[in-house]
Amino acid sequence: MGGKEIINLTGVTKTYIMGEVTVEALKETSLLIYEGELMVILGPSGSGKSTLLNIIGGMDSPTLGEVYFFGENLSRAGEKQLTRYRREEVGFVFQFFNLIPDLTVKENVELAAHLVAKPLSAKEVLEEVGMAERMDHFPSQLSGGEQQRVAIARAVVKNPRLLICDEPTGSLDYLTGRLILSLLSKINRELGSTVIIVTHNASICAMAHRVARMSSGMIVELIENTAPVSPERIEW
Amino acid sequence: MVVNVLTKRLFRSFITARGQFLAISAVIMVGVTVYISMTATCYNMTKSADRFYHEYSFADYYFHVVKAPQGILRQIEAIPGVIKATGRIQKDVTVIRENGERATARLTSFPLPVENEVNRPYLLSGSLFKEDARESKAQVLLDPKYAQANNLSKGGTVTVIAQGREISLDVIGTATSPEFIYAVKDAASFVPDSKNFGIFMITNNLAEEILDLSGQVNQVIIKLAPGADEKRISELIKDILQPYGILASYPRKDQFSAAILNGELEQLQTAAVYFSSIFLGIAALIELVMLGRMVKIQRLQIGTMKAIGYSNFQIMLHYTEYALAIGLAGLLLGILPGMLFASSMSKLYASYFSLPEIISGVNIQAIFNSIILSLGVSAAAGLAASRGVLGVRPAESMRPVSPGKAGKVFLEKWALVWEKIDLSWKMCLRSVNRNRFRTAVTVLGVMFATGLLVLALFMNDTYNYMLKTFFSRDQLYDYFVRFDAPVKETELLAISRLDAVTRAEPVLEVPVKIKFGSLSQEEVIMGMLPGAKLKKIWDSSGRPLPVDGEGLLISESTARKLGVKKGDRVQAETLLGMGPLRIATLKVAGINSQFVGGVSYTTLEQLNSILEEKGVVSGAMLKVAPGGSTDFEKSLSGMNRISSIASRSKELQGLKSNLGYMFVFVFIMVVFAVILGFAIVYNASVISFAERKREMASLRVIGYRVNEVSGLLLKENLLQTVLGVLIGLPFGRLMSETYIYSAMKDEAYAVYSFQIVIYPLTYLISAASGVLFIAIAYWLAVKNIIRLDLVEVLKARD
Repeated sequence: MGGKEIINLTGVTKTYIMGEVTVEALKETSLLIYEGELMVILGPSGSGKSTLLNIIGGMDSPTLGEVYFFGENLSRAGEKQLTRYRREEVGFVFQFFNLIPDLTVKENVELAAHLVAKPLSAKEVLEEVGMAERMDHFPSQLSGGEQQRVAIARAVVKNPRLLICDEPTGSLDYLTGRLILSLLSKINRELGSTVIIVTHNASICAMAHRVARMSSGMIVELIENTAPVSPERIEW
Repeated sequence: MVVNVLTKRLFRSFITARGQFLAISAVIMVGVTVYISMTATCYNMTKSADRFYHEYSFADYYFHVVKAPQGILRQIEAIPGVIKATGRIQKDVTVIRENGERATARLTSFPLPVENEVNRPYLLSGSLFKEDARESKAQVLLDPKYAQANNLSKGGTVTVIAQGREISLDVIGTATSPEFIYAVKDAASFVPDSKNFGIFMITNNLAEEILDLSGQVNQVIIKLAPGADEKRISELIKDILQPYGILASYPRKDQFSAAILNGELEQLQTAAVYFSSIFLGIAALIELVMLGRMVKIQRLQIGTMKAIGYSNFQIMLHYTEYALAIGLAGLLLGILPGMLFASSMSKLYASYFSLPEIISGVNIQAIFNSIILSLGVSAAAGLAASRGVLGVRPAESMRPVSPGKAGKVFLEKWALVWEKIDLSWKMCLRSVNRNRFRTAVTVLGVMFATGLLVLALFMNDTYNYMLKTFFSRDQLYDYFVRFDAPVKETELLAISRLDAVTRAEPVLEVPVKIKFGSLSQEEVIMGMLPGAKLKKIWDSSGRPLPVDGEGLLISESTARKLGVKKGDRVQAETLLGMGPLRIATLKVAGINSQFVGGVSYTTLEQLNSILEEKGVVSGAMLKVAPGGSTDFEKSLSGMNRISSIASRSKELQGLKSNLGYMFVFVFIMVVFAVILGFAIVYNASVISFAERKREMASLRVIGYRVNEVSGLLLKENLLQTVLGVLIGLPFGRLMSETYIYSAMKDEAYAVYSFQIVIYPLTYLISAASGVLFIAIAYWLAVKNIIRLDLVEVLKARD
């Protein structure tokens, strides 16, 4: 990849103390993520992929090691700095969508748009994800796939440099899941956002520029995909 | 014994949700405390009074006559149904204290031996009358409050003026009697004034001698056989007494002390039910909300329980046990303070009313009722809330829930308005709209909490207002001097010429019975000079009523009792107890509104003409030069014909000292209201936080700051609390009005004409406490949001 380093993780270890047990969720992990790439982090549950994602996304801090975002050290950042980072630089897409039930589709997107100085147009983004016609609906009136599209619109409207997706197809059926992946791929191509997808579904790897395979808290394999395929052609 | 698994689960849930558990229990505790304390006090007082009435043979019927020979007693006792008729002499006389100050004594005589008589004295200290009266001729037993207020005890002496003679009496002890439980001079007395009014108990022989009534009585009190026809017998007795000038006759329930005590206890019982229902009712509603939500979020667990074979009933019972446990905790917490309060309240009441012995101890009935009430209400709430269990189907419950159903609120119909509303307010309005029942419960709770605060504080406002108005608008004299009998106006010169006196206005007070149709009411008519400046009279809407012409300005309480309107003609029958009986017909020229007392007004001239007299007065209102009070009081000390001197400053002082009694009550009410307000807002906040955890976490993850997210909860709380406070303030006024009107309906309080006054400060304090509730809820929310584990919440499925 020819892009600049957007994320630089060096020797990141994360240990949790759960009651009387210490769990090492990440062990001295290092990873470079480049601007504009679409990366898939693959691994079974308990492999540490979510922990890695949380640290990249500024929801958690490493126990040891360093995390840089365009050279800004996040590993020692306080709550305020992390909130600013999440607010201005990161867009999140979750497995369970997590839309605000009391806000309409458009309002959910606007809620995120309010956070940044130069957001994209909520309406245009909704058109982009194919939800413009249902702008005034409430989340309870939408299907899972539709909710996820709104969630993507909500993440994208801030025009973040980093889009983080945690099992975005995890609660969706096959066809809907594929639609969501196409959307993410389109955003990566057209807006140039760096997209990181965390999944346990190996089929998704086919669409990534690079794949980090994780197991037992470590990246065991880093695969470069020279010919990513379009999500429409992925099957699982 | 193996503890049921569900029971274990129950206990664990209590630990997790201990805040909510305790908050609801506290509200139930207050309900139980209020119920037990008031009911038990009421029970203790009723039992104690009944026992006292029974053991000391409280009279069933009273007859006042001008005077009658003792022989008629035998005639009355001959009527079938009359067990005992006691004859006695009762008369108000002037007391002269050592420093020359005056007080009023109600001389009440007892035939010896007292053992079998009606209204026997209960000896509190010293000894009863010695029968060998030659040893100590002038023995007196004092009521304990007068003795205490005047620092008198056995061995002391008191001086009274009877028939113009100064008579010294030896104090042989203190005593009370069933009819003096609440001893005030007359219905117009605001509160007991023990310093200046006392009951002086003497023997019949002594009374006959000093009041020149040898062989006579002026009151007959009777005891009836159980089940006797009171009405018929009283008519027969009236026939017998008719020739001796009947001044009054009334049954025990209308006897002033008995009526006041009874009214007070009835009020207490009503208050017990009223206030405990508020607290228990709101607790039940919070339980309903809390458990309803619990059933909703534990859908998966309920589905699982059903899948492994638990029946609907078992699961519903399980959730109902939560409510029962909360009820039980509240009950256990409430019983002890309830009993302690009952004991101190009973003591307070016993000293306010002179009841010699108070039956105390555990009131099983009150405790039993409170168990039924608190557990019953909780069980009902639990069952109602766990109805949701029935709708859970195991297979369905395993699927993820769809987002909470939101709907448009009515404001969205006006697009222009709606567009201007901030997103966070939109969220909050829709959430409130979605959870209407919960919102309603919170608003209701805050409304009651605020209302109770207003109710607690308003008493103080009203009392203060009445005092202030009474002493600055109505009663403008410094002294009110009364003679022991009507005198010629010229005799006033001795007083009005005193150096300190700057203005003197003569008055004539005549006790009368006012009749209208078939109803009658005893009261006092006061005659004043037209244009009198030291006493002002007003109607109920605050317009001054001039005293002129021949009309009667009837008192509001009498007008209410008799159903008299302006322009009606009423009959006034004099009750002077001396001289011939006079009857006059008077036209009602207006209805005067006084805070206390049934006094009607007319001109001095008109009242004189009713008595067929000219220039007769019974006292004077006086204005004294600043700083002249001491000189003035000293110069009066030598004047024997003066029966009482009422001083404005001393009256004001006495009334203000009564405020302390009220502060305790106000304080307790405020504490209870705050517990209620806190519990309701705390629960609303906890539930709302739990329900919106995922939302809060999502917002935090996409970059919202802690204060921005907590602001959402604050807005929701603010909306509900402000609404509750806004409704609570007028609601508090409404409760105050209801309270006062229900009190005034009571016969014994009919002499009061309360005006409901609530100062802005009271509203301000009540509203401020609403803000306090919000602040606490906000603080708790912020604490929780900071602790929120974003990853955990977002990963978890509901």
